[in-house]
Amino acid sequence: MSPKQAYRFVPVFVLLCVLGAVVPAASAQGIAARFERTLGAGTAPKLIKEYGGEYVLPIQERLWVEEVFARLAAQSQRPEVEYTLTVLNSREANAFSLPGGFVFITRGLLNLIGSDEAQLAAVLAHEIAHVEKKHGVNAVLRQLGLSVLAEVGAAALDFLSGDLLRLAGVTLVQMLQAGWGREAEFEADAVGQELAAQAGFDPAGSISLLETLAEVDGAEQPMHLFRTHPEPVQRQKRLEERLALFWSDPTLVAQEEVLERLKEGRNSHQDRRTDPKGRYVLEEAEKPWAGVRLFDLQTGEYVTWAQEALVREAAWSPQGTYLAVLVDAGSQGELWVLNRWGHVLRRIAGFRGEIASFSWSPQGTVLALDLVDPAGQRVAAVYINPAAVVDVSRGLDASGSQWLDDALYFLQGDSWYKTEPPQVVPVQIAEPVPLVLQRKRVLTPTLIREGSTFRLTRPELTPP
Amino acid sequence: MAERSVISVVLLAAALWAAGAAEAVMLTDPTGLYSTQIGDRWVYQAHHSTPELMVFYGEGDFELLYFQRLGPVSYPSALDFARRAVELYAGPGGLEQFELVGEYTEVKVAGEGGVACAYSYEDAQGGRVWEFRIFLVLPSGEGFSIAYSDNKPEAASAPPLEDVLMHWRWLF
Repeated sequence: MSPKQAYRFVPVFVLLCVLGAVVPAASAQGIAARFERTLGAGTAPKLIKEYGGEYVLPIQERLWVEEVFARLAAQSQRPEVEYTLTVLNSREANAFSLPGGFVFITRGLLNLIGSDEAQLAAVLAHEIAHVEKKHGVNAVLRQLGLSVLAEVGAAALDFLSGDLLRLAGVTLVQMLQAGWGREAEFEADAVGQELAAQAGFDPAGSISLLETLAEVDGAEQPMHLFRTHPEPVQRQKRLEERLALFWSDPTLVAQEEVLERLKEGRNSHQDRRTDPKGRYVLEEAEKPWAGVRLFDLQTGEYVTWAQEALVREAAWSPQGTYLAVLVDAGSQGELWVLNRWGHVLRRIAGFRGEIASFSWSPQGTVLALDLVDPAGQRVAAVYINPAAVVDVSRGLDASGSQWLDDALYFLQGDSWYKTEPPQVVPVQIAEPVPLVLQRKRVLTPTLIREGSTFRLTRPELTPP
Repeated sequence: MAERSVISVVLLAAALWAAGAAEAVMLTDPTGLYSTQIGDRWVYQAHHSTPELMVFYGEGDFELLYFQRLGPVSYPSALDFARRAVELYAGPGGLEQFELVGEYTEVKVAGEGGVACAYSYEDAQGGRVWEFRIFLVLPSGEGFSIAYSDNKPEAASAPPLEDVLMHWRWLF
């Protein structure tokens, strides 16, 4: 703002300070919300136009996106804000929000996310968090040198002149393109992750989202989401550190029935060597051995996977989707995760301590690790997708971890403790509508002449 | 006389062959909600089906029959369910050139009350498709749909669902 512009607002500013001081706080909150809404509503059409207009999603996808958004918006701590979601017709992978509850996501980003509920929730929750924390409106006021207004009394904002609102709108667009600031992004990550977890989505979704975006960024796709954000590696690290907060505090187990089951080791997934899908059998070998040797029941032959690894132990996930392999690498060991075709998907290293044993969660998405180091023993949960490690024993000298139903149990001394991962509730659309299928057409092969010869065209299935 | 016997045998054989050709198989829903009889003119489409969605291709190039379980729904009635679906099919992001054909009619499927309606729309290739659909809200609060479509208007006015509906049984 130029000095000339600023002087025009001095009398307004003085008046507003006085008004701000005399208006009750509750009323001030409502007035500030109206100001935010006015500011956002005035800016939204310009941005919608800039991003190719509104995009109407196909029915089933729309219902799903709306349900995820509604669940997140219901967790808002600002009842005065009315949240709305607009899908933009742009290939660019982007999402942003404006003061007043206007949230935007491009079809490009929705395509990237696909049907991953946790990732969709993560990106929408991040944008809602910006509004919850008033990052946009505060940044604009700061830029205009009016931050004192917010401190004196937000009520004053209601009386801002049309000129100032227009100026605020222009500033908002400029600032949106530059980002709300590094600390605001970190805060939106943290608040968004919490919001997603409260709404029943996997808080690890925010880390998966960053992984997805990083892959696309490398592939030179239209990608502006990172441009205004801090380094993804730093964001990922902070989000990973916070993941432990969503596991319940370890509690002492007193139920006799549960203790009995734990003592007997009657956990949900005992046979680690046989492929649950019935194709492979892990071979016993002298430890440690080179690669994972399996007998393929389909071909009647032996196969060896991850030949470059010195393997100490291997275990199938309960659904047979993954094979976890404990690899000798230095003093601490690495955990490799292979898919059903022997391809190494993840190499997870850098555990603080040596891996004594590991076990799959019943869903086959998390591994519990018993770690030993000179300072003591502890239990860590290792997420496979995204790759993240969480210390779940919270300082207890923990060992002997076991999964029982959906909870993780471990021993401290002679006592069993229980901790539970965050509860994930799949999206259930209250008013779903049936699919409308269209029959795929089969093209009949035809002979076409090519010079003196004929060629038969290949019949193909065409999408509807 | 011998000639007559030969003709009778031939006729009997033809009748038996025809009966055999029209043989139907009993379909039991893998999720255990329903069973019905499916004539051999329908070919099960494993690639397009899931436990909640059973898809069959008919003899005609565009003939399609499918049953879908929708899980718990909050519709107070089958009519509300049907109206909401039609509203979305007709709206933005729905079906191209959507037209409701006729009115909503009450139907019974093995004793359960539902609502049927027919509509037409333009498919991805630009051809006109007519679809007849039954909407049900089962006593458990679950939504269910039976649909038949073809590229002929008769699909809406006279869908060949007699056998399927006559042999329909709910397994709850």
